[in-house]
Amino acid sequence: MSVLETSSHISSSPLFVSSELPDIPEMGGFVVFSGIVRNLNEGKKVTHLEYEAYAPMADEMIRAILADACKKWDLLHANCIHRVGKLEISEIAVIVETGSIHRAEAYESNRYIIDRVKHEVPIWKKEFYFDGSSQWSKGCVHESH
Amino acid sequence: MDIQLLFFAAIKDHFPDLKKIEVSEGDSIIHLREMLTHKSPSSESILKVSRFAVNQVIVSDDFVLREGSVVAVLPPSSGG
Repeated sequence: MSVLETSSHISSSPLFVSSELPDIPEMGGFVVFSGIVRNLNEGKKVTHLEYEAYAPMADEMIRAILADACKKWDLLHANCIHRVGKLEISEIAVIVETGSIHRAEAYESNRYIIDRVKHEVPIWKKEFYFDGSSQWSKGCVHESH
Repeated sequence: MDIQLLFFAAIKDHFPDLKKIEVSEGDSIIHLREMLTHKSPSSESILKVSRFAVNQVIVSDDFVLREGSVVAVLPPSSGG
């Protein structure tokens, strides 16, 4: 069972959820998670976001997280693409796709991938507010470094 | 010996022009963390919670720096 490879997990182009499923006859469950830019955070009205990444390292780390997911679960498909640059409200910031024979693996592995991407991968979010101010997200603090 | 520095996100506000820094033979990440804090005391709180990567691999505080190491200072990430 092979996992579909993509050339890059970091994209400066808009992301869209595809209506086409991977062509894998054994696949019985397919889960798509999309993280979307919302207009409110901690009570402040957000106008847009900017994502910055240490792209080569982020790309490699996402690749490694996908490989780890494939070791933990019997996956037929796993992919994750994260957007960088300026994103407007309602644009997709990240997509995680997982596919497996049964739904349980697809659900569980999808959550595992997005949680690790959010906590570990060097990608940062700057929020811009209606009042003209802006702020880098405080992010996830790591217990060891 | 010189090492190269990369700053990202909020940490860029503290070291806008610093692209390289001179360290001594045997200096480790913990020494670099102290040097950067000394250069910009206001960066102390964010440096404390930042990870360091050398040549794109996350390293611990006792990692010893070498001539030409490319060191990235990575504030807490917030993707997704």
